[in-house]
Amino acid sequence: MLPDWSGPVAHYVLHEGLKGTLYVSAIAVAGSALVGILLGTLLTIDFRPSRALIRAYIEVFRGLPILVTVFIVFFGLPAIWTGLEFGPLNAAAIALVLWGSAQVAEATRGAVQSIPREQHEAAAALGFNWTERHAFVILPQALRRLLPPLVSLLVNIIQNSTLAGVIGGLEILQAGERQSERLTAVPPIGLGEIHAFEIFAGVAALFFVISFPLTRLAAYLERRLV
Amino acid sequence: MLAAGYDLWAFVSEYHEELLHGLENTLKVSAVAIGGSYAIGIVLGAARAHRIPVVSQLAAVYVEVIRNTPILVQIVMLFYGLPQLGIVLDQFTVAWLSVTIWGGAFQTENFRAGFTAVSHNQREAAFALGFRPLAAFLNVTLPIGGRIALPSSINTAISVVKNTSLMYVIGYPELTTTALNISNLTLQTTEALTVLGIVYLALVWSLSASIRVLEGHLALPEAR
Repeated sequence: MLPDWSGPVAHYVLHEGLKGTLYVSAIAVAGSALVGILLGTLLTIDFRPSRALIRAYIEVFRGLPILVTVFIVFFGLPAIWTGLEFGPLNAAAIALVLWGSAQVAEATRGAVQSIPREQHEAAAALGFNWTERHAFVILPQALRRLLPPLVSLLVNIIQNSTLAGVIGGLEILQAGERQSERLTAVPPIGLGEIHAFEIFAGVAALFFVISFPLTRLAAYLERRLV
Repeated sequence: MLAAGYDLWAFVSEYHEELLHGLENTLKVSAVAIGGSYAIGIVLGAARAHRIPVVSQLAAVYVEVIRNTPILVQIVMLFYGLPQLGIVLDQFTVAWLSVTIWGGAFQTENFRAGFTAVSHNQREAAFALGFRPLAAFLNVTLPIGGRIALPSSINTAISVVKNTSLMYVIGYPELTTTALNISNLTLQTTEALTVLGIVYLALVWSLSASIRVLEGHLALPEAR
């Protein structure tokens, strides 16, 4: 039987924490895919200035530790202009989009360039312009190759959404930390007991249950599609 | 709302000692963790590639557990979870240990892939020449498979360096913690973040440049 204290803790972690984790992850994955595929496709255009800019974006956000990017978005942007003030969850989501889109852009470039020249030429011969050619002919084929890295990115983003907790956002790990602190408080607030080990083991197990099937899926897609 | 005008130079000249000390701690933790994770990766990667009973299965579990849980949870577990079991580790120990365990799992996977890619013929040729299994590994599989694993292993090493910034959550005074602590006192947030950005990018970019140089020197003859 599970001890009495575990019920409310699990309820808080699953109802409050998981919600935050899913919120950050959903924005971060959608934003990374959108921005990354756009930048990656633009990167294949042979125009030096745009390529240099996108390259710089990719190298900077892949090079910075994500925590530093989180701090730049959360503390740095409002210091430059007060209009750029975000809550912890949104700031973490934006930082993860900056990092994730850099990863996706790099993968997209490779995927787009792996599509044979003839496909471009055939589409052009049919009267498609650059945008139509990419939207209807090249990207749908490139997406096959992009799927495995996108699933791996999802796993990475879910795990890195814990960074929101560092700046006070309520996600799974932060929820666990708050509950662990609450239990150490004297009654009636807490129990005056330490259950940090069980709680963090539970948090780890929760992340494992979410991530493991996705990692397997990514490996399976890699074998099937690439 | 800038506390004062943005003045990167004043910030650096006033706090360069603290910042350098922070950088030193970052490099110290990184060096220990990179060394440790390579050692774990080569040993367990070999166990995985050669399917050594029990060790191989345990290594697989280790890799999956570490790869499928956030490193932040691992750090918090070591620093705030373990004391409940009577295991109290100081900040420096948690700092290098957590990134070593994390990096070790990824290096195991890198070297497993590298060693697996070495063709059977090479090992059989070594056996035919009278090499014993360990000698065959050290003289044939390791030099060839190690080179195949080299680029991905350096990428993992780079991630190890970047992940030392997470020691902020346990308050270990590496570069990120140091810079943030100073900015909390002086409100020179933008300056502190600029320093962090420049130093980390310099570290990471020079490490990835080293991949390209090393790849040129160590690539297998047929890949050149």
